[in-house]
Amino acid sequence: MGSNTSNSRRVLTAAALLFALLTPAAAGAQTDVRTGVKASGTVKSPLLLAAFRSDHGASPVAQEAHDVARHDFELSGLFNVTDVEPLTDKLVPNPAATGSVRVEGTIESDGSDFRFKGEVFDLGTAESMFQRIYPFHRADARETLHRFVDDVLEALTGERGICETKVAFVRATGRVKEIWVMDYDGMNPYQLTHDRTLALSPAWAPWGTELAFTSYKRGNPDLYLFDLRRGASYPFSTSPGPNFAPTYSPDGKWIACALYRDGNSEIYTISRDAQTARRLTRNNRIDSGPSFSPNGDQIAFSSDRSGSPQIYVMDSEGVNQRLLTLEGKYNDSPRWSPKGDRIAYAARHDGIFDVVVMDSNGQRPIQITSNAGHNENPQWSADGRKIYFSSTRAGARQIFMMNADGSDVVQLTQGDECFNPAAGPRPRRPGVSRAG
Amino acid sequence: MRRSPWTLIFLLAVALTMLTVSQGCSSRRKSAPPAEVTPPPSNPEIPQTSEEPPPKPPPPSTEDENAQAKLQDAFFDFDEAALRDDAKQALEGDAKYMEGHSRVNVIIEGHCDERGSVEYNLALGEKRARAAKEYLVSYGIKGTRITTISYGKERPFDQGHDEESWAKNRRAHFVSK
Repeated sequence: MGSNTSNSRRVLTAAALLFALLTPAAAGAQTDVRTGVKASGTVKSPLLLAAFRSDHGASPVAQEAHDVARHDFELSGLFNVTDVEPLTDKLVPNPAATGSVRVEGTIESDGSDFRFKGEVFDLGTAESMFQRIYPFHRADARETLHRFVDDVLEALTGERGICETKVAFVRATGRVKEIWVMDYDGMNPYQLTHDRTLALSPAWAPWGTELAFTSYKRGNPDLYLFDLRRGASYPFSTSPGPNFAPTYSPDGKWIACALYRDGNSEIYTISRDAQTARRLTRNNRIDSGPSFSPNGDQIAFSSDRSGSPQIYVMDSEGVNQRLLTLEGKYNDSPRWSPKGDRIAYAARHDGIFDVVVMDSNGQRPIQITSNAGHNENPQWSADGRKIYFSSTRAGARQIFMMNADGSDVVQLTQGDECFNPAAGPRPRRPGVSRAG
Repeated sequence: MRRSPWTLIFLLAVALTMLTVSQGCSSRRKSAPPAEVTPPPSNPEIPQTSEEPPPKPPPPSTEDENAQAKLQDAFFDFDEAALRDDAKQALEGDAKYMEGHSRVNVIIEGHCDERGSVEYNLALGEKRARAAKEYLVSYGIKGTRITTISYGKERPFDQGHDEESWAKNRRAHFVSK
């Protein structure tokens, strides 16, 4: 066994672990993956999750914290989680377990104040890879563990997780449709708008405290901006006819949307201060569904200028418009991945809608949902590892989440019909306390 | 004009930043006004409520009820806003009725079946409503008597999930006002 834990072996172990964790989920995906049945091509690393230790009186909190961490690590799609007892002795190196990690946690309480100490070990080298202490209040246990798991994912893979992000969506109650917001995993849903008519197509501002959406609250389908800090919405674009399909530019300075202001559905960019508007498309067919590339230079959109909806791309000033999709008669709702290399969209084939992901140049379209109702509205998570979408696979439309290769499908909403998911950005916050 | 009292109260409260909004609202009923982009929604001093009461429709008069019964909807093929022969026939009847009842004004609602995205169908519904309006205008009905609104796929008449239901939902629906 590991009699010489030399530097070279440590590097090798870390490299093996990183390789396992960084193997892109999409790389090994195949066409026509049957969703939710197998995780094709996804390499998951073993993760041993110890029961969290606690001092007297904090054990319910420790249990809750452990459950949140377990849920988050599993939902990340990166790990096979196994529950284990906490360490009693010092961990010894085990080269056979290279690529596996062990997570230990302790909850301490001091009256109403709690502290969570989390640590991650590389089982190959027995070395501590990550350690941090999180002070928190009782009600914030869930948020605190979300932050811990995101920190761990960042330490292990270089890419932060999405446990702290939110998802906006539309929930229909009878004829009334309102914008709701929930945690990344479907927990804690709450109603955001109270327009008592139709509110549709939410889109997050990059700074995470504002949403653009369409509402009929004054009769015409107008665009509004909802300020989450003030709990109020403001009219943004109110030209006659539909004002719809909003999306923010990555720098937050522009909102691309579709308007009928010139008598036909065209794509515009409007500065967020509403002082400047540019028309980007000019033809008598339907141009809609804009989505910025992550560097803001390009906009993917859908247009039926060829007779049925297809995905096109143009420079963000509207020039150089060209067709991207080469397969299928009906392709709509393009969404550019956060890394810029892929575009997800909804394709209609044989009367069925499914989610397809292609390279951003239109090559290699891979269908990642199949044989499970209609699947539409694909939306990338902030880390690009997940795709949120709406599906009728369980009856009425609901919001689901899956890995970017179509594996690990999880239903996030129940009950009333839900659709139009919009995955929020990671929160912007000052540096996390690194006490200890 | 519909909703004007509430609109005015709302707008007065936010008069400074929302001045051009009121212009936008007052011009909404005119044909082809320039588009309005409202001023920055960034004035942090002005609290705005998102709890506006929904507009209250006036009680229908007897003539309205008659008009509602006489006006026929136009139906469309999947992913199409082109007028079929049966749609033209219905619209011709609507045009004749409106010609003979000069006090009847209409809202044409564009509707779609449930297939496709919310956004694409909003555009398609508007296109259907405008196609119906254009037919009436070309017949000789004044454009000022007709307003259009798209409900996309959000207000289906039939909740079913088959072609029979979808066919009923792809329509330009006439509402007398």
